[in-house]
Amino acid sequence: MLKSIKPKKWVVAAYLAVPVALYVFTVFAPLVAALFYSFFEWKGGPVKTFNGFANYAQLFSDEVFWSSFWHNIFLVIVCIIGQIGLAFIVVLLINSKVTKLQGIHRTFGFFPSTISAVCIGFIWQMIYDSKRGLLNYFLEKIGRGDLQKVWLNEPRLVMLLVSIPLIWQFIGYYMVILLSAVSSISTEVLESAEIDGATGIQRARYIVLPLIKNTLLVCITLCVAGNMKAFDNIYVMTSGGPGYSSMVMAMYGYKVSFEQSNLGYGSCISVGIFVLALAVIGGSQILMNYFMTDSYDRQEAKHLKQIEKERKQAIKARKANR
Amino acid sequence: MKKKVVSILLATSMVATFAGCGSDPAPAAEAPAAEEAPAAEEEAPEAETPAAEEEAPAADDGAASGDLAYSGNISIMHFSTSEESEGNGGSDGFRTCLANWQNEHGSITLDEEVLANDDYKTQIATRAAADDLPDVFLLQGMNTISWAGQGLVYDLTDSIKNSPYAGDYNMDYLVPFTADGKYYAYPALTGGTCTVVIYDEAMWKEAGFDSFPTTWADVEKAAEYFSGQGIDTIAFGNSGQWQMNSCFVSCLGYQYTGTQWFSDIIAGTGNFEAPEFVAALTETQRLFHDTNIFNKDFNAVSNEDAREYYISGDAAAFIGGNWDASYIQATLEGDPKKDTTKFAVLPQAADATKYEKFQNIGLGYGMAISAKAASDPDKLAACIDLCQYLTGPAFSEYVGANYALAGFCSSDVDLSAFDQYTQDFYNFSYVDNKGCEIYDSYVDGSVWSVLNTEMQEMVNGDKDPATVAADTQAAYKAYLGQ
Repeated sequence: MLKSIKPKKWVVAAYLAVPVALYVFTVFAPLVAALFYSFFEWKGGPVKTFNGFANYAQLFSDEVFWSSFWHNIFLVIVCIIGQIGLAFIVVLLINSKVTKLQGIHRTFGFFPSTISAVCIGFIWQMIYDSKRGLLNYFLEKIGRGDLQKVWLNEPRLVMLLVSIPLIWQFIGYYMVILLSAVSSISTEVLESAEIDGATGIQRARYIVLPLIKNTLLVCITLCVAGNMKAFDNIYVMTSGGPGYSSMVMAMYGYKVSFEQSNLGYGSCISVGIFVLALAVIGGSQILMNYFMTDSYDRQEAKHLKQIEKERKQAIKARKANR
Repeated sequence: MKKKVVSILLATSMVATFAGCGSDPAPAAEAPAAEEAPAAEEEAPEAETPAAEEEAPAADDGAASGDLAYSGNISIMHFSTSEESEGNGGSDGFRTCLANWQNEHGSITLDEEVLANDDYKTQIATRAAADDLPDVFLLQGMNTISWAGQGLVYDLTDSIKNSPYAGDYNMDYLVPFTADGKYYAYPALTGGTCTVVIYDEAMWKEAGFDSFPTTWADVEKAAEYFSGQGIDTIAFGNSGQWQMNSCFVSCLGYQYTGTQWFSDIIAGTGNFEAPEFVAALTETQRLFHDTNIFNKDFNAVSNEDAREYYISGDAAAFIGGNWDASYIQATLEGDPKKDTTKFAVLPQAADATKYEKFQNIGLGYGMAISAKAASDPDKLAACIDLCQYLTGPAFSEYVGANYALAGFCSSDVDLSAFDQYTQDFYNFSYVDNKGCEIYDSYVDGSVWSVLNTEMQEMVNGDKDPATVAADTQAAYKAYLGQ
């Protein structure tokens, strides 16, 4: 950059100061504060008693917390498949030559993700309503009244049922992200594959997926992060019930902090959510990298690693001989 | 190396944003939906509500003191929203009296924060945690011991004993706001039942009962008839989890335990695993899980939804609280069903021995003063004056004259001025039945949260009552610090 138009360091620092300060205030400060309070027995109010790792010991043996964690994992898996998987299929359909009015599909597909999660919770609560809900009405109309249930009072089904609104809401969101990635793939590549006789599924598997790998990784990271802190629409639909059947970690932290006024342990739960979310996000990225790299690439990478190792050994040996 | 450290830090902070506090792919929707009234922070209420025009008390009618040395601001937080006050006598009376007090004391500015009830509970707990309570606020009975122990609330014992209205106070209402023999709040709003069976006399006559049965065995017989008609016998909503406690077990429990067991619980020497309490839970499970008395979706609908089943005729009776009775009255205005709507206490359980026509009644909230506000004697005097006015004769006379309700202060109610529905409900609440305590006005939220959540599984048949009692006892012991 020309020296004359390059901003001075203090100008850059001044521009950055406000967002950095905001970031520190809204992200780091709460995290550090939660970590600090997690070492106290704190029932609200000014009195806090330092209790070391007692909250963490309780967290490790807290069955409700761990069942909530597995509910979050369930949500993550279902939503990765439902949100990103379906979004990918929808993108391929919208991008297909035979699809008309692509703009309308894009707009209406994205529409649910603009609605408040609380409203979505209420909408789906009405769908699942046992007396006047659409689902039971539909079952009755097709002559399967025997399948009618009080859906949100079914402990074995309730997690799946609260996942469906989440999937419905965010398909459009991921569709838009994936659409932009797919649009950047050269049409020549796809046409060449078509001329070579590749079917639609083969083109999706061997051309589109590898070329949008990085975007998919971002989508999965967002999906995992979003579902590890799921709260609002589940709170509206079931409040975590019946019992703890649809309890997720964030809601449990909320309950402990505000219903039970146990802010020290609530802070400990928040730290637990943070650490587990990091672990799950990291784990999912490793898995994604593994599955998105085909066996040829893996062998190639292994081979390159081996060559590098041998080169280093040779240098070492040469130095030792001197 | 430096770059690596910086990049790791940045990456960690980015993930932190995703995982904890940062951008969410979901559109913002942080506030949970309030059950009773739409969440709203409001401006100060106007005194000129329709009801206020009818019988608004003059501010100097009951003001403890017209001359206050303090001039400045007093912050006050409450949950009598304008929506809540429509048809709810306590909220209407509270808003009206508050506006009158403000008019009378021009040198004092009330900084009001008005929230819907559910939001209020969260907000006030957060403010207490931050040691930042408003000068005057509504203290929930269950928080009294904990907050008093932390020095958050001002000891009002002397001011209550020396109040100009002390002779008119119903001292029983002070029990939830007592810690170590000291009073920490003036019981506020109106004393209302938390458990009332609201039933349609005409429907029950068709089923062969002149009035609501006094035993569950008879209710089960009636359920056979109503099931045949495709009608629920009793509508109940427990999706919020607190209803099973406040509106059912809190009353049924007394049939098994009598009064001593809960007195021991309040005193910190009780036992949730006591056989009589487990028996009450077992009966609750049987009634909800093994009979067809209640609507099948009781765990998936709120009390607001369930009362609609009654209003629409889909259920022959409904179990709720005084707030539901007010709503049903307002909704059925002009409908013949209003004339056939009657009230009853919970029927007697067959194996319970302590039956005395119990209905749980009390004042769950009291006007409290932050300990910090007490540092300025003039301000403290103004806060006390405000609390006394809002819970004194001006309030009681207003709610008595307009709604046939009673508050902390006794007042004469001329029942002849009211319709039959109001008269019946007044007699049910204050005359005909023995009152018992509302469980969750006492002890601590940490105990009730466990009981309420696990009872939801219990009434589904997924958890046995003894386990629920044991888990609640563990939470109780933790609360007691044992």
